[in-house]
Amino acid sequence: MVLIRPQASFVALSEAHFSALHVFVRLALWLGMMPPLCAYVGMTKHGWQLGTVEPLMLPKVTIGVICALYFFALLFGFISAAIIGRWMAGTYGATRDLGAHFALLVVVGAPLVLGSLMHLYPDVFLNLLVLVPCLIWSMFLLYRGLPIVLQTTPEQGMLMASSMIGYLFVAFVSLLGISVCLWVYGIGPRLGV
Amino acid sequence: MAAIKWPAAPTTYEDDVVLAFTIAAVLWSLIGMAAGVYAAAELVWPALNLDFAPLTFGRLRTVHTNAVLFGFAVSALMGTSFYTVQRTCHIRIFAPNLAWTVFFAWQLIVIAGAVSLFMGANAGKEYAELEWPIDIAITVVWVIYGVVFFGTIAIRRIEQIYISNWFFGAFILVVAMLHIVNSLAIPVSAFKSYSLYAGAQDAIVQWWYGHNAVGFLLTGGFLGMMYYFLPKQSERPIWSYRLSVLSFWAFAYSYIWAGPHHLHFSAIPEWVQTLAMVMSLILLAPSWATMINGIMTVSTARQKLREDPGLKLIVLSLAFYGLAMFEGPMMAIRSVNIISHFTEWTIGHVHSGALGWNALITFGCFYFMVPRLVGQPLWSVRLANIHFWLALAGVMLYVLSMWGAGITQGVLWLSLDELGQVRYGFNEILAALQPYYLLRLLGGSAFFVGAILMSINLFMTISGQRTVTVAPPTTSMRSPAPAAGTP
Repeated sequence: MVLIRPQASFVALSEAHFSALHVFVRLALWLGMMPPLCAYVGMTKHGWQLGTVEPLMLPKVTIGVICALYFFALLFGFISAAIIGRWMAGTYGATRDLGAHFALLVVVGAPLVLGSLMHLYPDVFLNLLVLVPCLIWSMFLLYRGLPIVLQTTPEQGMLMASSMIGYLFVAFVSLLGISVCLWVYGIGPRLGV
Repeated sequence: MAAIKWPAAPTTYEDDVVLAFTIAAVLWSLIGMAAGVYAAAELVWPALNLDFAPLTFGRLRTVHTNAVLFGFAVSALMGTSFYTVQRTCHIRIFAPNLAWTVFFAWQLIVIAGAVSLFMGANAGKEYAELEWPIDIAITVVWVIYGVVFFGTIAIRRIEQIYISNWFFGAFILVVAMLHIVNSLAIPVSAFKSYSLYAGAQDAIVQWWYGHNAVGFLLTGGFLGMMYYFLPKQSERPIWSYRLSVLSFWAFAYSYIWAGPHHLHFSAIPEWVQTLAMVMSLILLAPSWATMINGIMTVSTARQKLREDPGLKLIVLSLAFYGLAMFEGPMMAIRSVNIISHFTEWTIGHVHSGALGWNALITFGCFYFMVPRLVGQPLWSVRLANIHFWLALAGVMLYVLSMWGAGITQGVLWLSLDELGQVRYGFNEILAALQPYYLLRLLGGSAFFVGAILMSINLFMTISGQRTVTVAPPTTSMRSPAPAAGTP
């Protein structure tokens, strides 16, 4: 419903009231498990395909640690984005109801969760090819849905969505940096560093 | 203290030269981006160089960087700085003839630079490839530019020097210093010279120049642009003028040390690398202070956002500014740099700044400034909105593809097999990158198409019009300066 008729879903979301705990336990937690689970299955079965002939095969324990960290990073990203959004809401005249912020992020993140099915075959390029359109879709949902779900004007919503994108960019690039640091310190592929 | 002698009431602003710089900047953006897109296509289909030396990647890539950096960015900065300094000093520009000299001479320099690079003349220093005769010409023109800009400040009719002018002033002074010191060389012929410095010293001087060209030209200069056009466009004073002054000094102090982070794990002393890394991390504070100041300034301008497509581009540029200014310090951390250095991740980082920040804020300012310069509404708001979405999609595709390529490259280069040998060969890694290069080409092309739409839009707005004559306010100069943040 959310993916097919986003506008109607946003209106329905704005009219309903969800508790933050309800959204987190019933939806976010389970959706957040999907990307690491798919990554675990894909990496143990096919290895990490970086476009070369030979895939990078890692021990199952290492893959488990990487996927667990991936899960916690996603949860941290989700919760921190909601809290940051709630903080921004004061500036942009939006609702400060944490449940609404959680619900919005679930909807916005849905295309990315769907795209993460591609982790079942962890070829980096194919994943990028699928996840980039999903990301653009997510951004479209954020710009479209934020003013409706968080009950602010379209112009204020546009500003707030741009600020949220700034934060999410930073969160994503932090994830990239943290991953690289972990590899350098021995968790991940065997590198000559 | 001697009383200040205020100049006589001025006539009108000199805006013809501003319009000329704007048109030149738009043309250079098209030329520079076309060269960039073609160079990106060559990485996917190498045969596109047609075995013709000027079209080979090595030459075309430098033409691309020089055209966008010196043609597009500097022309845009010169034009907007002349526009800003007149309006924040309430005076016609000092020596308009010199301003026109700067315009024509600078365009000749960029053309001469492009031709010399196509011919293969190259000093071998990144962003400072031009050979010594052109370097001398740059120095002369830059000094004239400084005379015009600071001359206008000197004859200003408002006591306060507005924050934009501090940023523009730092840009002019520091770029002059960087260019002169880094370009010192011993000529051996009309088109060949060798750096005055040797070995590690040469590398340190080069990256002191290279990084601060990014710092004071692509950051400082454009912050000058932002601090004038954002409050004007949103019709709001700067959220915190005090924060803008504080971040200016913190920015100027901390940026200048960060250059050697380009030389991690090289032959330069380790303490120099560590110092650069630490100062890069400190740099995050003033950078984000500026971003927050910008976002908070525009946060209540909802009505303007509805009417002004340029404001959307500026708001988005602030998000990319925040990203680039976070990513840069992060990549300066040695544990990250060991993977990211020399990979496409760096190219992605540069373009999140160059496309996402510099180009978008310039486009946003042009959408604001050009209709006012010619006294006509923008030809098509719809086209400007299409440009916004094309630019966003283009820069996203570009940056994400380069992140993917960079991580792939870094991991593959450093991967070891069971015997501790390098696992993958260079050719194999290069072949693995080709799909990312195709994605990058798509992203760059989308951004380029957006720039073409903007050019059409601006040229249709300008077409058949003359520059509007605007007179500075004639209020008494002995009255108090305007409230902080209201240029």
